[in-house]
Amino acid sequence: MAISVRDAEKVKYREFMERIEAGEKIEADDWMPDEYRQTLIKLISMHGISEIMGALPEKEWTPKAPTLYRKLAIMAKVQDEVGHGQLLLRVAEDLIKPYGKTREDLIQDLFSGKLKFHNVFHWKTKSWADAGLIGWLVDGAAIITQTNMLDASYAPYARALKRIAAEEVFHAQHGEAIAVALAKGTEQQKQMMQDALNRWWPALMMFFGPPTAETTGSSKQEITIKYKIRKNTNEDLRQFYLTKYVPRIQGIGLTIPDETLRYDEEKKEWIYRQPDWNEFLKIIRNEGPMSQERLRIRKLSYENNAWVREALGLNTAVNV
Amino acid sequence: MNREYKEAVVELLYQLADDDLLVSYRGSEWLGLVPHIEEDVAYSSITQNTMGHAAIYYGILEELGEGKVDDLAQLRPANERKNAIILEEKNGQGHWLYEEPRYDWAFTVVRNYFYEAIKKKKIDSLKQSTYEPLVQTAIKIDTEARYHLMHWQTWFEQLIRAGGEAEERMKAAIEKVWKDIGGVLSLGPNEEKIVSAGIIESEAVLKERFLADMKEKFAELGLEFPGEPGMERGDGRAGVHTEDLEEAIATLSEVYALDPAVPW
Amino acid sequence: MGEKVPFYEEFVVFSRKTPVSPCQEQFTLLAPNHEIALVMAQENFMRREKVCDIWVVKRSDIRAMTPEERKTLERVDNKDYRTTKGYGYLVRIWREIDQGMLDEKEILSWSKGRVK
Repeated sequence: MAISVRDAEKVKYREFMERIEAGEKIEADDWMPDEYRQTLIKLISMHGISEIMGALPEKEWTPKAPTLYRKLAIMAKVQDEVGHGQLLLRVAEDLIKPYGKTREDLIQDLFSGKLKFHNVFHWKTKSWADAGLIGWLVDGAAIITQTNMLDASYAPYARALKRIAAEEVFHAQHGEAIAVALAKGTEQQKQMMQDALNRWWPALMMFFGPPTAETTGSSKQEITIKYKIRKNTNEDLRQFYLTKYVPRIQGIGLTIPDETLRYDEEKKEWIYRQPDWNEFLKIIRNEGPMSQERLRIRKLSYENNAWVREALGLNTAVNV
Repeated sequence: MNREYKEAVVELLYQLADDDLLVSYRGSEWLGLVPHIEEDVAYSSITQNTMGHAAIYYGILEELGEGKVDDLAQLRPANERKNAIILEEKNGQGHWLYEEPRYDWAFTVVRNYFYEAIKKKKIDSLKQSTYEPLVQTAIKIDTEARYHLMHWQTWFEQLIRAGGEAEERMKAAIEKVWKDIGGVLSLGPNEEKIVSAGIIESEAVLKERFLADMKEKFAELGLEFPGEPGMERGDGRAGVHTEDLEEAIATLSEVYALDPAVPW
Repeated sequence: MGEKVPFYEEFVVFSRKTPVSPCQEQFTLLAPNHEIALVMAQENFMRREKVCDIWVVKRSDIRAMTPEERKTLERVDNKDYRTTKGYGYLVRIWREIDQGMLDEKEILSWSKGRVK
């Protein structure tokens, strides 16, 4: 008796889910359900391209960093971000390979708006303190998201995240050092840091995404949890973040611009003012404060130097 | 250390420090915009290494009583800077930020390749210097300088060999950089004092070694040798500079200048 | 000549930490050829660690196992005979005549040679 194609797929799916449940790791060439592959492609290509785009807000302050030491450190840090982009794009590229696609397609998807970059990298930076804040609090949030996926079922992603997490420890301390120096510095420096926090707080509350799919119409969080790619929901991660960072922010003398913020001992959760999720919706349509400028500079540099890629991609004397 | 010797040492240290600072400043502007992601990462390491070398030279100057490292790197006005003019030149048209920057990779490869080739000659010479801190520095930074040279030489060779548009762009960049590359070789108006004190070998000797390598490389790649290195826009060692330097200093010191007296 | 091949080729980067350590896989990168791959390799994957040698290998030149073939890698756990596990009882025998065990620690310590 022949088994129908559909039944065979069902068996494969069941075996796949058993592997996932047993905590086994999946490799790029293993059979995987289409939903799993699509979810990974979307997640990892967005993660990778966000690292590349995320270099830009800090890059704005890289040549201006106050001392040679800070210039070197922030360069090393932004370099790491680009490097993380490299690692993650490599993982994504292997996943899109069966469709005949390459990095070129991912970059073009970014330019066309099909591939989005993380909502936190659409905001303006106004002073050196913003660079400190990004290094400290944005990276802090990123570290929480990324460590939550360190045990991801997809082995190539887990391997990349392991490398990334090791470098994020440096990023966390680099950001803290800038923030502490300013918060403990002169009145002018303190004010710079407080202003940066005031500007960025809503962005930080948006960082982990809306609590439920209702806000934006769709959310991949349930699927990524089902396939053991991540462990916690957006809201869990935000709560975890507040627990880790609120005492530190207040501890160095900064005021969080949300007078409703408090920890509810009974519910065991943080109460906070919801950010403007309409703003979030605008950002994910690339209509945020700096979305177009940052896409433009990326596109311009990419196209302006296309000749370099073309020159060496041709089957010339260099490559035979 | 007598006064004359010290002056000669200080003069050369400023040249070495300012050269590395400006070329690495231009490198820092590229970060995030390099044509290929892996190369963006690699180039940034070279930039960091180079700024690190500048910091070592400024550190020696600080020990010699010239002032704080960051004051030296950031607060000196353009007319006191000793870097070669070609190193302060912008990476290409447009502003580095959101005003349509069009950075030129051919110019960047050529400038960096020639710069590192000359820098390596200087480092080798400094290993025989009469000034011990320079000997120690030369030994310390030698392997990084070697890597930089290998890196840029690879890009240089490959973009020339690629032929077509790439070769044309590279040739144009060579012509442009060669007109001012003499400024990197220059030891400035005080060369005589520096050389007679045995701090580094003469400009003529360094130039001969550099040109010998270049002639070989150009022949290997079938390029016409451009002849005597030029210094068309003047000698940066003598304080001659362009607007590009003023803009660079204003940008790189923007935050520090808010309050140079406090920790950042 | 002139036939367009993709700019992006995959290279696997390997590095050796010390002259006596094995060459270890680091990660993959895209480059137009071996030379460019090599001058980018260290700064992409080993910015914070010491290495003494680097290899770049075209990924297409690596014959890796298929998922089916990987299933041949598990072994039955009955091969103590390949290890020192089965010889622990020798300790007692040697102790009776005041001799120590020639275990890994002891044997590798012989690398110092005869010390006068």
